[in-house]
Amino acid sequence: MSYDLFLGCVIPARLPFLEASSRKVFEKLGIKLNDVEGFSCCPDPTGIEQIDHTTWLALGARNLSLCRNNGGVISFCSGCVETLKGVNYFINKDLTTKKEINRYLQKVGKVYEGKTEVKHFAEILYENLENIKKNVEKPLEGFKVAVHYGCHYLRPSEIIEWDDPFEPITIDEIVKALGAESVEYDLKMECCGNPVEKSDRDLSLLMIDNKLKAIENAGANCVAVVCPACYQQYEFNQRELNKRNNTEYNLPIFYLSELVGLAFGFFPEEMGLNFHRIKPNELFESIHF
Amino acid sequence: MSVINFDFRNQVIKHNASLSYCYQCSTCSGGCPVALLTNGEYNPRKIIEEAILGLQDKLIEVQDPNPWLCSTCQKCVELCPQKVELTEIFTLIKNKCFEEGKYPEAFHAQGQAVLENGIAIPYSKAVLSRREKLGLPIITTAPIEEIKTLLRQTNFEQNIIKREAE
Amino acid sequence: MEKVSKSALVIGGGIAGIQAALDLADMGIHVDMVEKKPCIGGRMAQLDKTFPTNDCSICILAPKLSECYRHPNITLYSYSEVQKVEGSAGNFSAEILKRARYIKEEECINCGLCVEKCPMRVEDEFDRELRKRRAIYIYYLQGVPAIMTIDKEKCLWFTKNACRICEKTCEREAIDFEQEDQIIKLENIGSIIVATGYSLIEDIDKDVLKNYGYGKFRNVVSALEFERLECASGPQGGHIKRFSDGKTPKKIAFLQCIGSRSDRVEKYCSSICCMYTTKEAMIAYEHDNELESYVFYIDMRAGGKGFQSFLRRGAAEYNIKYIKSKIAQITVDEKENPIIIYEDLDNDKITQLKVDLVVLATCIVPPQGIDNLAEILGIELNDYNFIKTTPFIPVETSKNGVFTCGCVHEPMDIPRSVAEASGAAAKAAEIIRGG
Repeated sequence: MSYDLFLGCVIPARLPFLEASSRKVFEKLGIKLNDVEGFSCCPDPTGIEQIDHTTWLALGARNLSLCRNNGGVISFCSGCVETLKGVNYFINKDLTTKKEINRYLQKVGKVYEGKTEVKHFAEILYENLENIKKNVEKPLEGFKVAVHYGCHYLRPSEIIEWDDPFEPITIDEIVKALGAESVEYDLKMECCGNPVEKSDRDLSLLMIDNKLKAIENAGANCVAVVCPACYQQYEFNQRELNKRNNTEYNLPIFYLSELVGLAFGFFPEEMGLNFHRIKPNELFESIHF
Repeated sequence: MSVINFDFRNQVIKHNASLSYCYQCSTCSGGCPVALLTNGEYNPRKIIEEAILGLQDKLIEVQDPNPWLCSTCQKCVELCPQKVELTEIFTLIKNKCFEEGKYPEAFHAQGQAVLENGIAIPYSKAVLSRREKLGLPIITTAPIEEIKTLLRQTNFEQNIIKREAE
Repeated sequence: MEKVSKSALVIGGGIAGIQAALDLADMGIHVDMVEKKPCIGGRMAQLDKTFPTNDCSICILAPKLSECYRHPNITLYSYSEVQKVEGSAGNFSAEILKRARYIKEEECINCGLCVEKCPMRVEDEFDRELRKRRAIYIYYLQGVPAIMTIDKEKCLWFTKNACRICEKTCEREAIDFEQEDQIIKLENIGSIIVATGYSLIEDIDKDVLKNYGYGKFRNVVSALEFERLECASGPQGGHIKRFSDGKTPKKIAFLQCIGSRSDRVEKYCSSICCMYTTKEAMIAYEHDNELESYVFYIDMRAGGKGFQSFLRRGAAEYNIKYIKSKIAQITVDEKENPIIIYEDLDNDKITQLKVDLVVLATCIVPPQGIDNLAEILGIELNDYNFIKTTPFIPVETSKNGVFTCGCVHEPMDIPRSVAEASGAAAKAAEIIRGG
């Protein structure tokens, strides 16, 4: 089984360790990922789409026009997945849009018919759940995980077409398959607040503060995310919140691939867990992992 | 005083007919996380109401409510009993703000970055060496001239430059 | 009165079916009435009160039940279903499955001794599973026919070959475990009236209610459940208590349009909810004058004689606050108090309201089994799966000789159901008498 890999911007250029763990997990599962030359920004559905929908479609369609793999393309980022799925949605929904976008693509010698299948890496992991279970060497005992699905992994459901938009199960199931506990918490389905940082930093911090509070109240000892924007929002802001509000957040944030990797028996260092701002070592010690 | 502009409303409806399905039940505003935290300063129902009335000046000039506070979490879209495509309509309104040069700096910075590099975050030396340490492959990104040609087609480059000039 | 050779078949023994049957019977036409449940009475029997007069529902229904049961021109087949219909207008024949109750109908006097002794506890369907009944039971207290039924699915004799305590208890030897289902053939049917009523959205799709925590939060109930809670013969004896802690609610939120007027669920208006909600809030206030009620609505759709003044009375005299806002979601606090977040459209602010209890105005949907019945009868259903009728002759179905009345063809209140029933009866009689 193989897929083209769409990396996007945030993961390869800012959080390369998330890429490392993801690649390793896919390799272990025997799923081949092809690197493709010449991708641009996806572009960001919470940024570029908001200022210019047509540009968003054109750049996204250009990216998809570069994919050749029959299995389609996957990404480690929920934003990229939403953009690429969204391009398919809008192009296939309206012939005028398809013609318009292809008129632009023609100027750079490209064409896109809207046929490339797009999937989130967590979709692939869920589809390989049995395979994952077989590969668990070190069950994640003592991990009380607050699963954060994030918005763009699920919604708009008409575009994403995966899992339930309000009562999803897929990531919880993966986390449980690794031997960890998935902790229910208030505000589980709420936004992390990352996209509003561009217009209101205080509001963005308030949103993540509420989520962290709920997660701590529920007794979770770490968080699992599947989107680099959510990852940054959770990881980078705990210190800032502690400074502002005298809180004592110190919650390790794991990418789903990192949790899978740990359960597969990979060493934290080979996945670059040492590059996390909030080091998970304390957690590992406290639960004797 | 707001001026009712039906031409503007018709433009929006032509782009997204679902606007006219709205019966102002306020499911969207009651379910919106940002509306709750800003106590209605951001209010998806009100934006839709203003669009229905064609209050172009309120939406584009004054920007009340501020459309840039939408977190794009898409809850409203999922909850709306009339299947109004709210976020698509908000995108259209924000796109019009963009054309007028009235949008937050952070969006402009991201636009500039994509225009100049093809990607939103350029690779720093530190990251490149970190990638090497992690054994990750070398990335070849988009040919920048090709991206610029494309962004000129969609008027994106012109709009970004116009804002820079202001 | 001259003797008529053709009879009428009325399917459904709720208020619409009962009224149609009585009208026909009084015209001297023989009526065979088929009711699926062990007793006739239908939804109206489950209601505490009726709007807009707030009369006791069972008090106005009960005389009609016994009249229907005793009328010399009506033969009642309860606990029965129509299985087959053949022929055409003026000359139908039908096959009825009469399910065994395992009770000799003529012997049982509804004394209740058997019920006292029966050891099996079973969810009570009539009381919306808010309490338990026994495996031998009368469908509801005032039910007609006033005789017992043994629930074969749950009875220890049928499931485990044990017990038979009811048999030993019954002084009249009315228990008969040897009874079998019967097929009854009816001939010479001139016309048919379908009045099988409605189901509620929570009966067919609980997922629709998950945003409101129905089934998850104990202090969120449906309107029909609340109706049972208000009722003196209901599971709480008419003293409304929350399921989480047994406290009497002092603040109740009523949420309108649950499942109705939505492109995602049912597109139509359920038509009775604005009124029954106000009625329920009024009755709750009569039980407890400290009660505050909040009704969250999209539009108040109370179109009927005196209906608007009914709402105004609710606001003025019964401490009901009407708030225009459809509720997106409900959460609960640590004491299981529901919290409602809504936009106050008077000032465009987002407001939170903590209440003790939430009542969901769940919408009317076509009755379960309507597809099957429509196929048996050869009649068409509309886009929403109600029986297809036309606006000018609302009681006629797509098939000549088959008529309908009440909620089985669209949501409506009791007065309209009764009026339609008389209309359907007149139409049915036209064929029987004129033919």
